[in-house]
Amino acid sequence: MKSKLLPVLPILLAAFSLSACKKGAQVVQPVEAFGAYDTEADWNDGTKLVNLGYQESQGKHIFYQYCVWCHADASPAGPSNRSNLTPVPPLLNDGDKLNAESDEFMENIITLGGSALGKSAMMPPYGKTLTPGEIKQVIAFTRAIAEPPYQKPGRQGSQYTTK
Amino acid sequence: MPAEDMGKLTDRMRLTFAVATVVCVLVLAISPVKDFRAEWKKHKRSFVRYAQGRPDTKKLLADYSPNIDQVWIPGMNVVDRCTTCHQGMTQPSLADASVPQPFRAHPPIPHNVREWGCTICHRGQGPATEIAEAHETTLAWEQPILPARYLQASCGSCHHADLNETPQLSRGRELLSRLNCQSCHKLNDLERPMLGPELSSVGYKVSREWIYKWLKEPRTVLDKDGNVTVNGYENGDESRMPKFRLKDEEIVALSAFLSEQKAKPVESYKINPAVVAAWSKKPDLSSQGELRFRQMMCTTCHPLAVTRAGETKLIGGNIGPELTKVGSKINEPWLVSWLRNPQGYLPHNNMPQYGWSDEDLFKVSKYVMNQLTDSDLLSTVPKLEPATSDEIKNGKRLFLEKGCASCHSIAGLTPQKDFGPDLTALGAKNASELEFGKAKITHNLLSYIQAKLQDPVSVNPVSRMPQYTWNPADLDAVTTALLSQTGPKPTSALQHLTLPKVEASYKPVGDFAEVYERYKCYACHRFNGYGGTLAPDLSYEGSRAQKKWIADFLKNPQTIRPTLILRMPQFNMTDKEVNTIAEYLAMAIQKPDVNPQALDARQFTPPMASLGKQLYEVKYQCQSCHTIGGTGGYVGPNLNNAGNWLTPAWTEAWLRNPQALQPDTIEPRRNFTEDEIRALTAYLMTLKAGIKPQTATSAANARPAGQGAGR
Repeated sequence: MKSKLLPVLPILLAAFSLSACKKGAQVVQPVEAFGAYDTEADWNDGTKLVNLGYQESQGKHIFYQYCVWCHADASPAGPSNRSNLTPVPPLLNDGDKLNAESDEFMENIITLGGSALGKSAMMPPYGKTLTPGEIKQVIAFTRAIAEPPYQKPGRQGSQYTTK
Repeated sequence: MPAEDMGKLTDRMRLTFAVATVVCVLVLAISPVKDFRAEWKKHKRSFVRYAQGRPDTKKLLADYSPNIDQVWIPGMNVVDRCTTCHQGMTQPSLADASVPQPFRAHPPIPHNVREWGCTICHRGQGPATEIAEAHETTLAWEQPILPARYLQASCGSCHHADLNETPQLSRGRELLSRLNCQSCHKLNDLERPMLGPELSSVGYKVSREWIYKWLKEPRTVLDKDGNVTVNGYENGDESRMPKFRLKDEEIVALSAFLSEQKAKPVESYKINPAVVAAWSKKPDLSSQGELRFRQMMCTTCHPLAVTRAGETKLIGGNIGPELTKVGSKINEPWLVSWLRNPQGYLPHNNMPQYGWSDEDLFKVSKYVMNQLTDSDLLSTVPKLEPATSDEIKNGKRLFLEKGCASCHSIAGLTPQKDFGPDLTALGAKNASELEFGKAKITHNLLSYIQAKLQDPVSVNPVSRMPQYTWNPADLDAVTTALLSQTGPKPTSALQHLTLPKVEASYKPVGDFAEVYERYKCYACHRFNGYGGTLAPDLSYEGSRAQKKWIADFLKNPQTIRPTLILRMPQFNMTDKEVNTIAEYLAMAIQKPDVNPQALDARQFTPPMASLGKQLYEVKYQCQSCHTIGGTGGYVGPNLNNAGNWLTPAWTEAWLRNPQALQPDTIEPRRNFTEDEIRALTAYLMTLKAGIKPQTATSAANARPAGQGAGR
């Protein structure tokens, strides 16, 4: 009787060990499961939320401090200043206008102001007020809320996945 | 078995040994196979394949090693192996959202990953090498990773002072302080308790019926759509008085006890009988009272429900309580006495002492008592008999037991010390240290905090914590602030890094101190970092504004910002008080390096001014933000009267570098030359269009104070 059980033991052991090593392998959680750093309600449809990463959310706060006055339909103080300006400045989510502009152009016009790039002098330069990093953050926010959505120009990132 | 067969192997035994050997080898092989198939190794290998599919392979694989990679910072207890799988962490070319995880680069943040590690901010288990163990709560590992939405909590663990980059954390801390959480709970570096109203004499202020109603149903509730409402009107602010779960007999006892609190009699004031006789008969008494109420800018601090275009909402500031139905709450003699001297009833409160004429006092108090009412307010209150001594005794006991005494002081009652649990280390607690009761929620710290905030009894049936109403954003903000309470740092290295909160305070001296207290300037204005944020910061007002302008403004306040509704009340100051303020501002409230006497406007010539005008209108197009003579933008202050308002020295310094004078101003710093600065200043000093004094009718037509938050 004993000798019959003996060879079975290691097999049982093996089965146990195998089941143990199966345990750790759980469903891989994509990073999205941990949520967005911040959100912004879609400007055209308030029920839709746009997820913002760290850069974009910092850009959002800078936007609502400096840019909202002229580049949105309403400002924290009520009416927008857009109607006072000629030419009327684009809304920040105006993808038709802004998606075509390169990041470099956007950086330049924010840093140097409109007149340096042959645009309206009513757009003042922010190069001495905001840091280059902050200006990049504002652009990231612009891209995130653009409608129609912004597509990065050039080569698309590889569709390679880890699975 | 026969003896000669001993030591010989039977075929059967050979087979047994052979099988056992094979099995043994297999079992031994499990470990290396398991090791080869470890999750982190899979990610290591797939990163190599991924890098090979990209043009910048060489750069991506420059530091590649097939082993576990870890950030080890002994001084901070950091052993983070996250970069074993998150291999593109410091590769700027992998920043794009199309890069698959776990290879994406970390967004640029003020801290370097190699110097700080990952778990300092993200929490989770740094030493773990399996995905589930690193990110989730498991049996052996109890700190789950912090969802990005609450990440600012980690900033707050070390940065005790508020940061620009963490608005959610700052809002959460503000709520903890405003809702007075620290009255019952111990919390790290929160500002001193801002107590609820003292109730020693509340019996003179309100009726027992009103107290009953208030305890049964505080005015702020969550309506059926999940909106926070005040008196039935939607409002974004959380109420400070939460709802306590009280039984009817407890409310009866508490209302009996409170209505007997009459420590200090109301200072009676008799309004001149001639004024009363003259005004009582006038049919427009109420509308005149309302006009005066508006003119005195009461709504700057107190919101009122206003119906416009069929929509009713609360309009006004949030410094004082909402007043829509206050006439059904308070007693008239109390109101008159309160309006004349608020500090006589409550020594520490921010209501200014207006200089009332008898006429105004009568009109406004009648308006409040007769118009700001709701006849149904107390209709649900049962008939209450005169308080019995048993009820009063019970009420006194309940007042202490329920924690009322933690926020409201009553002379002679000592609140229980440490009424609620210590929360200074809540954010570092493991799930096993928390009680979940019968709540059907995920057993982790985050779910616990949110459940407790939304419904305290869901996790603890005998909880004494009252019921708050939250809107979703504020719930997340408070959760973030609580998660940031991670107690003292475990290691001395981190203790050294902790940035303490700097307490600001401003105490003026002399005659000004008296006026400053009387009119509560700091309730709206900020002085050297101390005070409210509703109105302009006055720390450097003496350098900015001309003395005569300050005096004129105090006598007859005007709004300088085109989109902002005037909110500065006219206090009916005496000439002496106006002088005291103007003198003090001009002398003491200055920016040391901007001396208003240093530059005289008389040295500007007309050609300078006309050059300045051209620069203003054509080259720099300042009119996009500033208004002169009715045209221009809404963003900056209107400059119609700049020549009488601003000092030339301030104007020049401002044009040179606005942020040096006011760090949070949105006016960008420009590249003006010194000549241009001089010319622009010369032009601005020629603008001297005084604004005509505000008349009664224009004030009546003006909208009540809006919610604008412009700077």
